[in-house]
Amino acid sequence: MVISPIYNEIIWALGAQDSVVGIDLSTTYPPEVKNVQTVGYHRALSAEGILSLHPTAVIHDNNIGPPQVVQQLQQLNIPLKTFNAKNDSFDGTKALIREMGAYFHKEARAEELCNTLDTQRAASLEKVKQYTDHPRVAVIHFGRASNVYLVVGKGGGGDGGGVSQMIELAGGQMAVENRGMQRMESPEIIAQANPDVILLTDYGYDRLGGSVDQIKALPGVATSNAARNNRIYRIEENVLNYFGPRSGENIAKVAAIIHQK
Amino acid sequence: MTKQHASRQILLVALAVVTLLTLAASIRYGAIDFRVAEITRALASLLPGNAAPTLDQRIFLELRLPRAILCLLVGASLGIGGTLMQALFRNPIVEPGLVGTSSGAAFGSALFFVLGGVLHIGTSLWSLPIAACVGGVISTYLVFLLARSREDGRASIVMLLLTGLAVNALFMSAIGFLSYIARDPQARSITFWSLGTLSGASWKAVEIVAISTIVGALIALRYAKQLNALMIGEEEATYLGVNVNRLKWIILSVNVVIVAVATAFTGVISFVGLVVPHILRMMGGADNRFLIAGSALTGATLLTLADLIARLAVRPAELPIGIVTSAVGVPVFIFLLRRRQYVF
Repeated sequence: MVISPIYNEIIWALGAQDSVVGIDLSTTYPPEVKNVQTVGYHRALSAEGILSLHPTAVIHDNNIGPPQVVQQLQQLNIPLKTFNAKNDSFDGTKALIREMGAYFHKEARAEELCNTLDTQRAASLEKVKQYTDHPRVAVIHFGRASNVYLVVGKGGGGDGGGVSQMIELAGGQMAVENRGMQRMESPEIIAQANPDVILLTDYGYDRLGGSVDQIKALPGVATSNAARNNRIYRIEENVLNYFGPRSGENIAKVAAIIHQK
Repeated sequence: MTKQHASRQILLVALAVVTLLTLAASIRYGAIDFRVAEITRALASLLPGNAAPTLDQRIFLELRLPRAILCLLVGASLGIGGTLMQALFRNPIVEPGLVGTSSGAAFGSALFFVLGGVLHIGTSLWSLPIAACVGGVISTYLVFLLARSREDGRASIVMLLLTGLAVNALFMSAIGFLSYIARDPQARSITFWSLGTLSGASWKAVEIVAISTIVGALIALRYAKQLNALMIGEEEATYLGVNVNRLKWIILSVNVVIVAVATAFTGVISFVGLVVPHILRMMGGADNRFLIAGSALTGATLLTLADLIARLAVRPAELPIGIVTSAVGVPVFIFLLRRRQYVF
């Protein structure tokens, strides 16, 4: 039982997926995770639901709830496991991959993943150099739990500010200066930041039927440079929001989207 | 009269049987289905001399059984609360949360979710229920206080009703503000709590809710006849020898305690308290002795059915129960209203 999108992505990359009996709703990558039973939203879990899949351990990244359910699992002596390393940077991600590799006895594969990550990162950064512009990017993330659109600011988005770091590595800059994520309650946030490019994470994008006109109707978006020049794009949540084994190549992906063609 | 009395007795017995049947289903089915033999073995493992329970047996004994029983008790509490409030206010649209209890409890829990992280008080299993219960009692007390007339210290029904609406709105705005400033995970906790769930049930919760529900039900039954007199009118009840002001305080206090305690452990569960008394009135008239006993049984049955649906609909995941109670309860209720020529 693994309740964490990043842990699951690494497990599949390590080739240790056969030991996973259940995942949470927010795990969406790789696509094969669809074949595994989900136990629902990671903050609205049910102890019985988890135990009905007979896990020998529940692995989570400290973002689970409600608290009583965690207590119930502890009382029934179900082992709960959290890895120490955090994927808040490339080094942190490599540490996490190695730690998980050791846990699942896939040390060799873990080293391979770390090497690929480094090589791809270097290659991506080389590609980024060819772009001379530094677009100011606003990222709009759709919070599925409370159905709100959130503007990601500097240092914010996903684990350890994943969004902000990815944008900067890809040669862009964050248009919204406020730290962390905030709700799009006031149109002034985006209007004032006046980004050159707007990225909308997949869920929020598809929810509006993928129509750019609908996206322009979000508060403050219409007057921005991005709307005027039609530089509003869809991006996969799992590409942008957190660091993982694919982050090396993802830098190039993000760069290809945000820079002028 | 005696004939009506007898038919109500039969109806109550029938309701009790239905309650037991749903309880049996609730024990048997869920994310894990327990066969009858397994249930017997699990229960037998409690007897001295038998082998210690296996994991599946412990899941049954420590998760399923307390949940099923807590569900009965909370349903009964909400049913009784609804009946008492509708009788006291002589108004069919009143539900137990009207005098501020559930919005106050929700505010207490929201405050806990947002500040608990900052002040590091989130460690104890009891912090959340206590915060919710205190919130419920404080907001209800606020309603009493503000509804009291300046001249004679009495609270008229209309004043209580309107003050309740106002205070509810105030607390809802406070909850809105808290979830606005909350970090994302906290905001999600607030959202889920306000939809209710029984997944956190434990034997300790069962004990506490059992005490409040049983004591509350007994007191309510004791005052049922006085509530009947009140149905005719406040003045008329006074002529019949009822101390109306005292009756109001007692009934309101009982409602606050049973609803605040139940809500503290499960979160806000909507609609049960509103719909249960109506279903009973359609079946058996307006005698409050019948309504209180019957609404305890019907509330327990309905909430147990809702919890079964919540557990089975998307298993092994679970729906918040508040979604089920409203989604299933409202259409049934409207159907009943339209089918019968129903007068409050």
